Amino acid sequence: MTGFNPTILAFCCNWCSYAGADLAGVSRLQMPPNVHVVRVMCSASVKPEYVFKAISQGIDGVLVLGCHIGDCHYMTGNHRTAKRIPVVRKAIHDLGIDERRVHLDWVSAAEGEKFQKVVTEFVNDIKKLGPNPLRGVRF
Amino acid sequence: MLVSRGEDLGDIRIDVPYQLITVLSGLYPWVTEGKIAVLCRRCDEKALAEIIKRGLMDEKRIVKIGLACTKEQIAECRCADPVPSEVHIGEQGRPVEKDELMEKLLKLSSEERLKFWVAQFRKCNKCFGCTISCPVCFCDECVLEERTFVAEQGIPPGLSFHLIRAFHMSDKCIECGECERCCPGDIPLLTFRKMMARDMKDLHGFVPGDAKTISPLLTTLEDELLEGECDER
Repeated sequence: MTGFNPTILAFCCNWCSYAGADLAGVSRLQMPPNVHVVRVMCSASVKPEYVFKAISQGIDGVLVLGCHIGDCHYMTGNHRTAKRIPVVRKAIHDLGIDERRVHLDWVSAAEGEKFQKVVTEFVNDIKKLGPNPLRGVRF
Repeated sequence: MLVSRGEDLGDIRIDVPYQLITVLSGLYPWVTEGKIAVLCRRCDEKALAEIIKRGLMDEKRIVKIGLACTKEQIAECRCADPVPSEVHIGEQGRPVEKDELMEKLLKLSSEERLKFWVAQFRKCNKCFGCTISCPVCFCDECVLEERTFVAEQGIPPGLSFHLIRAFHMSDKCIECGECERCCPGDIPLLTFRKMMARDMKDLHGFVPGDAKTISPLLTTLEDELLEGECDER
């Protein structure tokens, strides 16, 4: 699909992924400009409600990025994320939205290149999937 | 119907048209002495286990009277687990293994499934019947009433309402089917719950309704209880 520019929301945790995103920016790594970064204190503070609201309002993809397991600033915050995001993906799958629209990954503060890789791959995946089918649905 | 010791039972109904555990939850803070007896179908028993597990009621204060569901009730709920641990009233029925609508929906493509659910959820008039009648809906403050997540005005409320509810119920829904029965729009909510229950089983191997197992959403990856960093049940 040409001309489709997905809108993507990336929740980045303050301690790792946001710093990783910062590093990617400072290192001038090239990546698609579709991503809107939302800085959160921990990936566990990304309530499933946020993801559901984004998806139901027509956001094409949601990225949840946190510290690697074991590196969480709050000890076990990302454990919570690791357990709940798969359930979120299943919930949107059951509703009839492709579960690849929600993606969970771990990016540390030193992994600017990984941030670039994750974002680029995710944007490409979403471009293949096309726009969120709920975008045109009015309730 | 409420009866205390020595009263005539009259022609008491045992077909249980309400979720009795929801009634009990409302009553519990007001009855401060003695024990409370409650008719328990298998789903009520599981709901009680979920409530007791979260420390909201004292198990010792509740006397369960086992009630087996009739064939019609089992068929209505597509219930796979209809027999309570102790049957005092009624005869044991056979479980229904399959939810036909669920099987049908899972065979559809995702576009068609979305079309189905959007058509169903457009019938929602946000009466909150599903949350009020639900025996395992026990947060002090409901996120569905916050305008952050669900538009405050206007019906239908949109898909986020139903997705949030599906997620919140995923680790506690005991499939009593009360949400579906009381829904004025006849939305097949129980089917959605059953789909989520199946996913929970696949992902975390967790089935709600057992007082001993802790919800996987409240434990770490090593299955240790999460410390109280945020207040969730």
